[in-house]
Amino acid sequence: MDKVNVEKQKIFRSNLITFGMVIAAYIVVEVMMKTGNITSLLKGLLVPLCIYSILAVSLNLVVGISGELSLGHAGFMCIGAFTSATWSMLMKSSSMPEGIRFFFAILIGAVSAAFFGFLIGIPVLRLKGDYLAIVTLAFGEIIKNLVNALYFGVDAKGPHFSLEDSMHLNMDGGTIIIKGAQGITGAPKNSNFTIGVILLLIALFIVLNLINSRTGRAIMAIRDNRIAAESVGLNITKYKLLAFTISAAIAGVGGVLYAHNLSSLQALPKNFGYNQSIMILVFVVMGGIGNIRGSVIAAVVLTLLPELLRGLSDYRMLIYAVVLIFMMLFTSAPAFMQYRERIMTALHGKNKGGKEMD
Amino acid sequence: MAALLKVDSLGISFGGLKAVDKFNVEIEKNELYGLIGPNGAGKTTVFNLLTGVYKPTNGQITLDGDNITGLDCEAINKKGIARTFQNIRLFSQLSVLDNVKVGLHNNHAYSTLDGIFRTPKFRKVEKQMDERALELLKVFELEGYCDYKASNLPYGQQRKLEIARALATEPKLLLLDEPAAGMNPNETEELMNTIRLVRDKFDMTILLIEHDMKLVSGICDRLTVLNFGQVLKQGLTQDVLHDPEVIKAYLGD
Repeated sequence: MDKVNVEKQKIFRSNLITFGMVIAAYIVVEVMMKTGNITSLLKGLLVPLCIYSILAVSLNLVVGISGELSLGHAGFMCIGAFTSATWSMLMKSSSMPEGIRFFFAILIGAVSAAFFGFLIGIPVLRLKGDYLAIVTLAFGEIIKNLVNALYFGVDAKGPHFSLEDSMHLNMDGGTIIIKGAQGITGAPKNSNFTIGVILLLIALFIVLNLINSRTGRAIMAIRDNRIAAESVGLNITKYKLLAFTISAAIAGVGGVLYAHNLSSLQALPKNFGYNQSIMILVFVVMGGIGNIRGSVIAAVVLTLLPELLRGLSDYRMLIYAVVLIFMMLFTSAPAFMQYRERIMTALHGKNKGGKEMD
Repeated sequence: MAALLKVDSLGISFGGLKAVDKFNVEIEKNELYGLIGPNGAGKTTVFNLLTGVYKPTNGQITLDGDNITGLDCEAINKKGIARTFQNIRLFSQLSVLDNVKVGLHNNHAYSTLDGIFRTPKFRKVEKQMDERALELLKVFELEGYCDYKASNLPYGQQRKLEIARALATEPKLLLLDEPAAGMNPNETEELMNTIRLVRDKFDMTILLIEHDMKLVSGICDRLTVLNFGQVLKQGLTQDVLHDPEVIKAYLGD
């Protein structure tokens, strides 16, 4: 029982470090803001940093914990963004207090992204490996393109949809909310750094606790050996779908933050296209697959870096590439991993020699 | 006494090939039963039929009075059959303890939300699971390895862990697919003791496939010999092993 408790404490401490890291970063930034030591460039990056961290955490649940390579995560972000922005636009003129409205926007974004994650997950999770990656990529693109063509308006008679143009909505007065490729303009700017950090902490809380529970163990067991998992009576479909749906919901929350951080929201390839999906995957891979804290660090470093290196103009992407290579080595090369393990054991002052059996 | 497992003219064909045909067996409760036969005789196919990996083309499987023919793996495990694999299949990235706790999954339940919000129920059930898992690991002298990654265990211990995980699902019948494969004589000896211990301590019924005749003659009460997918001989271990037909099947003319 002692060893079990030691293991538990180790996990608890590791989770605490993750939360502590985020809170510490928040305090530092808040102090910098209060004392005016922050550039406007960095200030503009604060909310995106939270968004990308949340997305990286959410994708790591699918890629690292569930072991499925999904390339459609920007699609779920897109759904979260547009549903929540639509809600906020509808409720903008009502008497609902701003805080409560935004709270519901977050819920709506999460639930609708989860709903689509569930729907898409049913057929997609029957596939494996490369096939799954390709199909999720396709679904991501479909979502983005559909939203890009969608017209949506509300009048006295209720909601109107069209995929043609605003004339086909047959509106009788009322307001058009989603204007096809022009998207949504004028959504309230409710996102701020504090809310971003709180949502990131909630995402971390959900994912980390999920991993270290009965459900998480089942998900990881299925990842490690599907046939053995079936043989001990695990419901494969249920747990795969569960991981995918939770991940989609969290990605949807990232989308809500995104939508309420800009005055105009469009479904462009650079926002919600496959480039974005790949970017999120890069955060996950660079942070170490299955390493939740790593994805947050990678998302922050890799979002900040290109902006901070702007002054170096031509050398910017060169340095970015070098950093990518080093991060990959640091998180995934066996020699580095052993080195890190040695440092960790030295720090904990315990000799765990012989733990790796050759 | 009615047999725990009753298999009646079980068969499966892949295309035109009858991999297993008219397979019959009756295993009594608390029995140690051996399934032997030359390579390619269809022994593992029988296991895959019993555990629902393959659906039989004909025949019937009855476990403890329940007809379990054609159910899938998950359902059959819940009915009470657990197995190990010829090529070890552990959850390699999980710890030794967690491997057993995955086995305990269905019998120690709390919801996903309990897990996320760390409710008292979560704490209580997790504690029970830890205790139960450690108990099981202790039987196999693995409790000292509980924080190891499963893939870092030595080979012999991995085999034992697989048995522990199967037992964690609280089966009525345990199927062992070549438990002694790749073991040296000392390890095989130790394994024999472990299997006996499992039978006595857990009051378990065990069906095993094995090539190691020392192990088979040492622990099995009764045997079925399979050749070309059909039952060649059935009966008490010593009778079967000395049967000229069985010797012929193994050694040729």
